[in-house]
Amino acid sequence: MTDERRPDAVLAAEYALGLLEGEELMAARVREGADPSFAADVMRWQDRLAPLADDIHPRVPREDVWARIEEELQKDRGTAEVAELHRRLRRWQWAGGLSAAAAVALAFLALPVINGPAPEPTNIAVGPGLAQPPLAANMPIEGTPLRLDLTYLPDAHSLLVTAVGLSADGVHDHEIWLVPPEGDLISLGVVTPGVVQAHSVPLDAARFMADGSKLLLTREPLGGKPQDSAAGPVVAQASFATI
Amino acid sequence: MYDPDSARQTLKTAIARLASGDRDALEDIYRATSAKLFGICYRILGDEKEAEDALQDVYLTLWRRADRYDPERASPISWLATFARNRAIDRLRTGKVRGGSVPVDEAAPLADDAPLAEAALIDGERDARVHTCLDTLDDAPRKAIRSAFFDGHTYAQLAERADVPLGTMKSWVRRGLAKLKTCMEAGE
Repeated sequence: MTDERRPDAVLAAEYALGLLEGEELMAARVREGADPSFAADVMRWQDRLAPLADDIHPRVPREDVWARIEEELQKDRGTAEVAELHRRLRRWQWAGGLSAAAAVALAFLALPVINGPAPEPTNIAVGPGLAQPPLAANMPIEGTPLRLDLTYLPDAHSLLVTAVGLSADGVHDHEIWLVPPEGDLISLGVVTPGVVQAHSVPLDAARFMADGSKLLLTREPLGGKPQDSAAGPVVAQASFATI
Repeated sequence: MYDPDSARQTLKTAIARLASGDRDALEDIYRATSAKLFGICYRILGDEKEAEDALQDVYLTLWRRADRYDPERASPISWLATFARNRAIDRLRTGKVRGGSVPVDEAAPLADDAPLAEAALIDGERDARVHTCLDTLDDAPRKAIRSAFFDGHTYAQLAERADVPLGTMKSWVRRGLAKLKTCMEAGE
């Protein structure tokens, strides 16, 4: 077997084990998001290998680890609403029609919930922190099957950035910008690949967040746009819509 | 009496509760699984503090993403173990952690056995096929695959440690994985 020729199932195993690095790793991540049969291979290997962890000696974490988790949960006051919002967002995305690749990525997030009955909208209206309607935007990233999902919770001044399936290349970061009606772009923070992350939105940006607001994604050096230089190339854009 | 099916079902139910927004379910899951998952994080990161941070990260992410678990799929503990291992490896690769494995003889002194008993209940997979299939491989690929799994080593690190060219290591491991696949499939 030469370096270039290897069956997909072996590549999936290499990826599941964490053997890959650099470009190979990124390529495998993109495929996992875009190719359902490869993603299924990866899952199958994860399930096959997982029992190896039985050989690892269990270790009881210190009691205050749970205390810290609980504290974070309390701080995360919007979370119940965010979970609810994810469900709303998903229905909105399915209704809106998606490219096949995006639908696959989404199916990953959504599997068990899709069949469930839709929660009553009244649950949302009475919940704390969701008096104003949230905004959502999809940002397909040019030249890739990937996209960024952005959800803004007006009452929490919080922007939820879903970058699952994206991976860091170790050289660049991506920064999200709000385009105000006039004046300079306002940074909404740097994307953390592979996770769902809440960004707090500065007040000067919050007043411009509305249905139809424009957003840009630029490629920047690690850490985001340096203070003394211009923003990097725009790699994606989107507009908010009320959901 | 120990009943792995019911322990597994209890955990599945807790994950489903969590996905539907029941925050209390997280504590149930934590009590039942944290010793196992902390063991995994510690094994890969080799540092108590880092492993604690990884563990915290695992459960907070779980809370936000419990709806990713497909109840039709694997055993829930396999899914959680994979999840914890991947988070620990991500952390290892960000470069801040010294990494490296925990020496085997440093098997941790354990504060309290109760959670362990519970973790063992959920495992119930010790006879899983991967153990026997791994044993059918040659020494070199078996060691490399185990080291990738337990220490989070990449191809480059494995090659360096075994003092062989990268291409040699890749072909050992790939042949090993192909053989492992055949063996696993024979039992699936």
